[in-house]
Amino acid sequence: MPVTTPGAQVARIALLLRAAALMLAVMCGAASAPAQESHPDFGPAAAIVAELHGVLVNIMQNAGALGYQGRYQQVDPILRNRFDTPLIVKVILSRHWNGLNDAEKTEFIQLFHRLSVATYASRFDSFNGQAFVETGREQLNAGRILIKTELTRVDEPPVKLDYLIHQTDQGEWRIISVIANGVNDLSLKRAEYAAVIKERGFAGLLEDIRGKIHDMESGAET
Amino acid sequence: MEILHARHTVSVLMLVGALAILGGCATGPQAKGLTSDPLEPANRAFYGLNEGLDRGLVKPIAEVYEKITPAPARTAVTNFFDNLLYLNVILNSFLQGKVDQGFSDAGRFLVNSTLGIGGLFDVAKGMGMPMHNEDFGQTLATWGLREGPYVYLPIKGPNSGRDLPDLVMSTLLNPLTYLSGGILAPIQALRIINLRANLLDETRIRDEAAVDPYSFTREAYLQRREFLIYDGAPPTTGYEDIFEEEPDSDAQLKVE
Repeated sequence: MPVTTPGAQVARIALLLRAAALMLAVMCGAASAPAQESHPDFGPAAAIVAELHGVLVNIMQNAGALGYQGRYQQVDPILRNRFDTPLIVKVILSRHWNGLNDAEKTEFIQLFHRLSVATYASRFDSFNGQAFVETGREQLNAGRILIKTELTRVDEPPVKLDYLIHQTDQGEWRIISVIANGVNDLSLKRAEYAAVIKERGFAGLLEDIRGKIHDMESGAET
Repeated sequence: MEILHARHTVSVLMLVGALAILGGCATGPQAKGLTSDPLEPANRAFYGLNEGLDRGLVKPIAEVYEKITPAPARTAVTNFFDNLLYLNVILNSFLQGKVDQGFSDAGRFLVNSTLGIGGLFDVAKGMGMPMHNEDFGQTLATWGLREGPYVYLPIKGPNSGRDLPDLVMSTLLNPLTYLSGGILAPIQALRIINLRANLLDETRIRDEAAVDPYSFTREAYLQRREFLIYDGAPPTTGYEDIFEEEPDSDAQLKVE
């Protein structure tokens, strides 16, 4: 009579269960989606995402030494040069955008840029073995490109980060949307800002955003 | 007495569910762009109520619980409740036609309930049976039912019309529904406190980022549901729609 260890029993049960599952799956004809491939030039878009991730890993690894201000300084240029903030705020403010004059538009673009930099500086404030991995590339409508990535974490499930990138009229590739685990920051902010503008006007929104930036600055130093 | 009480709860939930299905069917196509939120006044009132309850009671307890309980113990508690409520996942995997996944989920439940000591340890994951996230709301979505209005419930929080029937199904498939006696209250309390402790990071991010937490919660919930319905790979058209509404761009404006 052969001696079976608990480990071997576990493995056998697992094998049996999986075999049963597989058999039923085959019987019921479980379909698998065919992969589709196209080959546009993903290079510049993928390079921008890699560049952003490089900066983020750097600020996480040196979070303590840099401090909030140091992290802010590191993130500022990449968001300035690699995100299409004017288009982003236009989409977020939606119909309210057209009601603003040029000075207000410019002011809002600056403020939103500061909010985005502050958010990265405040959120990426420690390193616990996280890493960014590219998982896919897709060509979308109107020349837009989707770069799919994952932020892997130790002992926690990875966060899916999808980047939507487009080419500006000047021919530069810029990020226009970041989607984290299916949650699109643009739609979130559009709904929020519409609610605040409805309640307290555009001035109220500016005040709230300045308050958020201030909270992140002061909160991060403690 | 407790059984009667459980039956009463179930029938109330069934009524809510039936109304929700009717509501889901009666709702027409939703406008593109901003999310329609026809129940917003009531939703906001309940949101305020829940926030008050959370700040005054649940969150402070969850914070203490997180501080005093070692991480492995919290993981074990989370595993235990995930496993206890897993019958709902198994059934809905099958209802969505994910037969392979359904058997894997059933195997997962059996293995974790036995070798995993009542679900405290997730041994099934290492045996190739990962945890899935399914519920009747996702099933109804795969069956083609529309989302229906956004509904924010007291205690329970964000839901859509389409997600309400799951309250009935998950209650019926929750073994705790059929449990009676003095042990039930502390188990339920532990479940809620542990659940809230697991969400502390998320609500911290929300409090840090949101200028209108109500809208933030609604959008995040609805997009998260979409993500789950498509098992983490929603169609990319959803990412692009928001750009299709504004064809022209102010190319001259820059961040200076």
